[in-house]
Amino acid sequence: MLNGLDIEGNSPLHRMPVRGKLIVLFAAAILLFLLSDLRLLVPALGLSVALYLSTGIGVAEAARRTRFVLFTVLLVAAANTVFQSPHEGAVVFCRLSTLVLLAAAVTATTGISAFMDEITRLITPLERFGFVRAADVSLAVGLVIRFVPEIFARYGEISAAHKARGLPVRPLTTLVPLIILTLKDADTIAMAIDARGFRRQ
Amino acid sequence: MKTRDIVLIALFAAIIVVLGLLPPITLGFIPVPITAQSLGVMLAGCILGARRGAAAVLLVLLLVAIGLPVLSGGRGGLAVFAGPTAGYLVGWVFGAFVCGLIAERLVREEQPELSQLLSFLAAAVIGGIGVVYLFGMPWLAYMSGKAFFETAAASLVFLPGDLIKAFVAMLAGRAVLAGYPLLPQRA
Repeated sequence: MLNGLDIEGNSPLHRMPVRGKLIVLFAAAILLFLLSDLRLLVPALGLSVALYLSTGIGVAEAARRTRFVLFTVLLVAAANTVFQSPHEGAVVFCRLSTLVLLAAAVTATTGISAFMDEITRLITPLERFGFVRAADVSLAVGLVIRFVPEIFARYGEISAAHKARGLPVRPLTTLVPLIILTLKDADTIAMAIDARGFRRQ
Repeated sequence: MKTRDIVLIALFAAIIVVLGLLPPITLGFIPVPITAQSLGVMLAGCILGARRGAAAVLLVLLLVAIGLPVLSGGRGGLAVFAGPTAGYLVGWVFGAFVCGLIAERLVREEQPELSQLLSFLAAAVIGGIGVVYLFGMPWLAYMSGKAFFETAAASLVFLPGDLIKAFVAMLAGRAVLAGYPLLPQRA
């Protein structure tokens, strides 16, 4: 049910280290907001399209994944065209869609476990301040991935129970039992985790 | 944080993900479809309290960032954070925190039902709508360049749907408090 958005492949972006990709993306975001010259922004958009397609994603899948965010970009650009000038609309469109496509390219070429390893490395220094433990974050991520299918199935059971009793499936009457039934499992799951000594406490 | 708190955070994050998998509801008198996912943000604060609620929302955003399609409509990946509406996602974390803070301060188990309901409604409206918009609208305005006022004003079309969600969060928050109270033992 929960599959990552990364695409298998061996493009240059795939081989680049995760941290490098994130730093480049961050730098590109700052640079794009400093630029407002269409002579630079249009080639940048072309480059990001080429980069995204170089991941081997395929045009249809690439469009399917970015269409929602690009739609909001288009709305913002349209607002700029109407209320400001067509030039301003083009600048905003190029700037934002370049950024969106670059970010999508990083996601398409980074596996979930590789990304998670990088996150763990990034938050390990924070452990000293007592904010969060890196091991707990990975544990929580694992738990979510493990329990989403189960909670979704439980939602199906609750709405089937509604239908069996001839009741309309309303958000409120399904949500409350779903939340209570799910959170009631917390004690058992926590006990199982502690019994296995995962957190070494 | 105890193991139980981590498990509660993870389970609630999973509930928020499941709410995003449900098909959006369209109501005749509101132009935009209503997704249940932002309802999950209000509920996280109302049910788990400030710290655990915010942590649950943050965990969902972490899953989005590492490339899982867990937002409503199967959206995910870093592209979501690069788009003009990313401020609303950041606002979710602070919204859940404020929502939980208000609920922790105002709601008592021995209170009469009406004052519990009103407290939950205040928490959902201030935290789940006010704070979320406080982050979302300036961010959208900044991203949209010079037409900032118009685009920020246009995002108000989501307000009626959000008010309905606050109302549902109020009823669900109070029902969960009656059935399985977690709010009093805050982490």
